[in-house]
Amino acid sequence: MTFNPLRERGIPLDDQLRTWRELAVMPIDPDESDPYTRCRIITMNGLETEAIFFSHNMARHCPDVEMKQQLARVRYIESQQQKAVNWLLPGLASVLETTIAYEQVAVDLTSWVARMEPDPYLRQAYEFGVLEDFDHLYRYANLYEMIEHRRAEKIVDGLTEVMPGRPTYLQHRHPVDNVRQNYDRTVASPISKLHALTIMSTEQQTMNFYMNVGPLYMEPIARQLYQEIGMIEEEHVTHYESLVDPGETWWEMLLNHEYNECYLYHSFMETESDPRIKAIWELHLNMELEHLGLAAEAFKRFDGRDPEQVLAPELPVPVTFEPNKAYLRELLATQIDYTTIGTGYVQEAHERFEAMQRAVLDDEKPASEVVIAENAMKSGHEYRLETEGPHPVQSLRTNRPT
Amino acid sequence: MNARPTDVVAFLVRQHAEIRDLFAEVEASEGSAREEAFHRLVHLLAVHETAEEEIVHPYVRRVVDGGDAIVDDRLREENEAKQLLSDLDEMGPHHPDFLKHLEVLRKDVLMHARAEERYEFIHLTREGDPARLAKMTAAVEAAEKMAPTRPHPGVESATKNVLVGAPMAIMDRARDLIRKVMGEDK
Ligand SMILES: [Fe+2]
Ligand SMILES: [Fe+2]
Ligand SMILES: [Fe+2]
Ligand SMILES: [Fe+2]
Ligand SMILES: [Fe+2]
Ligand SMILES: [Fe+2]
Repeated sequence: MTFNPLRERGIPLDDQLRTWRELAVMPIDPDESDPYTRCRIITMNGLETEAIFFSHNMARHCPDVEMKQQLARVRYIESQQQKAVNWLLPGLASVLETTIAYEQVAVDLTSWVARMEPDPYLRQAYEFGVLEDFDHLYRYANLYEMIEHRRAEKIVDGLTEVMPGRPTYLQHRHPVDNVRQNYDRTVASPISKLHALTIMSTEQQTMNFYMNVGPLYMEPIARQLYQEIGMIEEEHVTHYESLVDPGETWWEMLLNHEYNECYLYHSFMETESDPRIKAIWELHLNMELEHLGLAAEAFKRFDGRDPEQVLAPELPVPVTFEPNKAYLRELLATQIDYTTIGTGYVQEAHERFEAMQRAVLDDEKPASEVVIAENAMKSGHEYRLETEGPHPVQSLRTNRPT
Repeated sequence: MNARPTDVVAFLVRQHAEIRDLFAEVEASEGSAREEAFHRLVHLLAVHETAEEEIVHPYVRRVVDGGDAIVDDRLREENEAKQLLSDLDEMGPHHPDFLKHLEVLRKDVLMHARAEERYEFIHLTREGDPARLAKMTAAVEAAEKMAPTRPHPGVESATKNVLVGAPMAIMDRARDLIRKVMGEDK
């Protein structure tokens, strides 16, 4: 069944306004819902947050009052959508549980995108990044066991393994080496543009989240770990945003943003296991179709081009949350020792990388290492969830007798 | 295999995590395994709440500014949960409505535990005397280790026999024990 969002009618913008009562959504149950439902909520919150900030930025560069007013009208709706989506997260969950879910999103969403990405250079960028968030999951899971005395398998539910990836301390690269080469908007396939926008948005929200919740912790180790991983998430935003062609006009970027929201809501509507949440994805899809229609009109008017020229003729296969264990193990076995140099990748440490390492680490163990050692001391073991056998990298196996 | 936290807050937070996981275990198991898991849940909940009522709440009332109001809120939640726990225990794990009532209790307990962590324990960490907090741990730990209650001889009716002590009885025993441990500096 093909679905071309440009050909569909959505809900008229004026009918999209919601009352406070309608925004008072019932949160999901922290212990009894599908972990991938939570992942979809976190993903859509990332997209809506990007929709809001992108629209603000665009408005700051928009000389036309009438268009600024239209941006404001749509943005108000995006803002209500963001509330309706993110408020599905339960207040009963701790910040650290939500953090672990954020990293689960990064792991399974980026893996899926990497597997589906047709362009080898872009695919490499996702494969490189995913091994780092995979490691963050392991570090936070150890913090969780250490301060909340609970095991992360209760959160990830065995769908995602928890073990070392590219060690976090080796992710502190020189900022110059975080910038990638961008795709060429005239030849890149539409799915590549959507992928880049999706991962850029979710990584950006992860960065926002850590930079704001980190200082709310009392425990020094928690404060430090959020700082350290928060710095990496900024590197990730640099990494992924630089994949996007900066030659796109504001109107083209707006069009891509609205199209991507349609794509993701449609994907999640198709794959959602919880009927109540599925209804929300469907409602939001019908709102986005109208946003897309408005963006398409503006694109025609100001860029003088036909939206069909830059967008896919139909929605690509739905973005799906599913386990990626074998895929990740393969990446771990082959790419764990990669780092970046310029806009490319190398397998050995180079001068600029080592200078950066010396400058920020100063020969001391950073929080990402300390948290493992401290948890091992307090809990009697470091925390891992290896459901498919020992770690694929020999040197990262635990050799403790059990 | 967890090393024992020495701070009473860390200790109680660990118990919250265990209680939460026990709910899942009761729900997922069946037959005698469910009965057994449910008894562990009843026992842990009973000693946990008793320890808080005997040790933590009175201390918060004494040392924390606004402590009375905070503790009143917590006691309201606790009394509600205790009532639900008693009803559920009375009902037993074989009752057709057991899971429905367990679910209500689970949500109540989870919310209560989070409220303690966020609105009460945070003051203990901030304002509590470290030596005093360490001593409290000893009492909470002793209560947790308390042996399960044995049924009174002579009242071993077939179904009640498996019940190793109603919640109220466990609470009474835990209270005595805690008072003994805390006794010397009362
Ligand atoms: Fe939106
Ligand atoms: Fe991450
Ligand atoms: Fe990341
Ligand atoms: Fe939108
Ligand atoms: Fe309590
Ligand atoms: Fe408690």
